[in-house]
Amino acid sequence: MKNVVKRVMVVLLLTVLVVTSFSQEFPRKPVTVICPMAAGGGTDAVLRALSREAEKFLGQSIIVSDNPGAGGAIGHSAMLQSPNDGYYVGMITFELNSLPPQGLVPFSYKDFDPLMMVNQDASALTVKADAPYNNIAEFIAYAKANPDKLTIGNAGPGSVWHVAAGLMADTAGIKVIHVPFDGGAPAATALVGGHVNAVTVSVAEVQGHVQAGALKILGIMDTKRNELFPNVPTFKEQGLDLVFGTWRGLAVPKGVKPEIREKLAKAFKSAWDTENFTTFAKNSSLGLVYMNSEDFGAFLEKNYNEVSAVMKKIGLSKK
Amino acid sequence: MDFALFINSFSNIFQFNVMLAIFIGVAGGIAIGALPGLTGTMGVALLVPFTFGRPSAEGLGMLIGIFSGSMYGGSISAILINTPGTPSAAATSLDGYPLSKKGQAGRALSMSLFASFFGGIIGVIIMTFMSPIIAKAALEFGYVEYFALALFGLSIIISITNESMIKGLISGIFGLLIATIGMDPTSGYPRYTFGRMELLSGPSFIPVLIGLFAVAEVFNSIENLSTQQKLDTKIDRYLPSLTDIKRSTKNIIKSSIIGTAIGSIPGAGGDIAAFVAYGEAKRSSKHPELFGTGEIEAIAAPEAANNACMGGAMIPLLSLGVPGDAITAVLLGAFIMQGLQPGPLLYQEHIDVVYNVFSSMFIANIVMLILGIIGIRFFVKVITIKKEILFPIIFCLCIVGSFSMRQNIFDIWLSLIFGVIGYLMIRAKFPLSPILLALILGPMAESNLRRSLTVSQGDPSILLSRPIAIGLYIIALLSIISSVIKQKKIRKRLESQSQEKL
Repeated sequence: MKNVVKRVMVVLLLTVLVVTSFSQEFPRKPVTVICPMAAGGGTDAVLRALSREAEKFLGQSIIVSDNPGAGGAIGHSAMLQSPNDGYYVGMITFELNSLPPQGLVPFSYKDFDPLMMVNQDASALTVKADAPYNNIAEFIAYAKANPDKLTIGNAGPGSVWHVAAGLMADTAGIKVIHVPFDGGAPAATALVGGHVNAVTVSVAEVQGHVQAGALKILGIMDTKRNELFPNVPTFKEQGLDLVFGTWRGLAVPKGVKPEIREKLAKAFKSAWDTENFTTFAKNSSLGLVYMNSEDFGAFLEKNYNEVSAVMKKIGLSKK
Repeated sequence: MDFALFINSFSNIFQFNVMLAIFIGVAGGIAIGALPGLTGTMGVALLVPFTFGRPSAEGLGMLIGIFSGSMYGGSISAILINTPGTPSAAATSLDGYPLSKKGQAGRALSMSLFASFFGGIIGVIIMTFMSPIIAKAALEFGYVEYFALALFGLSIIISITNESMIKGLISGIFGLLIATIGMDPTSGYPRYTFGRMELLSGPSFIPVLIGLFAVAEVFNSIENLSTQQKLDTKIDRYLPSLTDIKRSTKNIIKSSIIGTAIGSIPGAGGDIAAFVAYGEAKRSSKHPELFGTGEIEAIAAPEAANNACMGGAMIPLLSLGVPGDAITAVLLGAFIMQGLQPGPLLYQEHIDVVYNVFSSMFIANIVMLILGIIGIRFFVKVITIKKEILFPIIFCLCIVGSFSMRQNIFDIWLSLIFGVIGYLMIRAKFPLSPILLALILGPMAESNLRRSLTVSQGDPSILLSRPIAIGLYIIALLSIISSVIKQKKIRKRLESQSQEKL
């Protein structure tokens, strides 16, 4: 008797599977999104918030899978190794453009088909509140008068904030000492404790200290001022044409059918537009910047060339 | 201090939904902590999205519950199956497992629970009333001080080594060598990675931990499966005896202070605190030769320290907005999502939140004690399982645990390779914990040494330029000297004992 029930159930299950696979188009099963950073970090938080909203528009559940390690190399590689049927989407980050010039990974942005850009956070030159310089010009003048004396903390060798500091020093023609830390937050803490002279991390990472009066921001490497600190001018306003920061976006490995890519992009864009997601972004001081697949692709190429050029100059590039 | 607000915070917590949240958090935390490969950090990170949009007392209560639960949970597997469920419980397995082998698992588990509870409470009290002062001191920690702290931590290798100091040092150096695998912390140049991307950030810690302790233990036990003597499977006790408590009180208090202090330094967490407390307990003990053979104080010290660490880690989080470890980094995110910005202003503008955190942590510790007392009778059942059945299960858990951290097949190989290394070391009587200490502290020592030298542009005198660092060097030196002297005494006593036996 038991056997019969089992057989009937198997048959029924198979029928359901076959029928659904014919009757429904993509997506027929849950979609997995791969996060190249650890659970609990900024990238993971953005991706989870976005995915939760996107589920409604995709009509399927979305599973966030964290594959952290090696500065994002492992996660990006995992995205490329997953099947290109559209059921695997990855969150690509700035590191996709900084790892290849260092000769650390055998892939580049060219192996991905971009879906959309999700966010961008600009680098902010931040110093102690009682430092003798109050704007970029004074900082540069001080650095020129004291070459190889100012220490600038960053989030690790080859990290986005290291490249930002290198780019700034190069553009301004100053000589500084780059001090790598294990992430942006430790660098900011070291600045508060007076162990380095400046940091070039994101606004979000120094926001608390600035509001508490321990640190001050001299300039932001963005096209427009930050909403939280409208009094802080951009680098460009202060005569230094510098726009640089980290970015995050969604992409799939090459070979996913165009109509499936479109469906995914549409669902995630709708999620990006929801109030829930924008509130989340505001609360975690995340800079929301959207680009469609085409613009994002062009951006990736331009960003890659910029980053590799700077890395060569600060001695991090192998090529 | 506003007393009315303080009392009020307890009434905020004593509500059904908040209590339920804490209860679920602690229970989940114990389970997460006990399973190797699942850590409190992961548990908290996965739950943060669910706390969004809920009252802050409820959400934070659950997260804090997981935090405390997982700290205790790690010791359960450390004691019962010699597999630290979390890195913080590694020091507990040194004496916990020998005790459990002697058939005193209940005694070990109840002491671990008791010490965890008191450590947690002491840490919370220090956090609430001394935060601003301690936070200021924590900010003084720059690269030079971190280097000195790492050196001090490494000096403990000598005091945790039992039989042969040389073998302990060899293990330690081996660990330091492994710690050099991965990207150079200053130039980003890959070292000894053999072109494997997975090794760029070094061999990942949890799989190595699982391999060295759990997999090696499985290999070692399989060998003795047929010759194994029957264990006394009668469960001895669920509550620590008065004599045990009396013996450990001093250690619990001392370790709690050590744990809170180390926890308050950003970047130094429960694992380091537990080892430092273990080393100190052994150093000050009247019978250090018994450490490593199942000494009850050797369980009390690290467990009190790692739970106290939680209060410590909250100090820089609440008063500076700087997370003290991985879990508090996730908590920081949770605070921000709730619209609260931890930092100096929190103490001025939102002291009620601080009190809420205090009372949640207080309650979480009490819930942990209650759940623990009820749970011990079930936990200890693990050792009554036949070894032929238990070891395959542990082995499976090891594989799943190493995979789950980064969802990477490579990590399974890593834990198997370190399992073989660990097995060979057990056979050759090399201690395993120095490797662990070296793996935790090696990268900290290296990157901060390099950072100091980068800033001074190669001038080593920078290492002696800071008073706190010099103090730490001196403590390290004293701890080495006293351990060497003790070691000699231990050897003499052991020799005379063996002569007596002859």
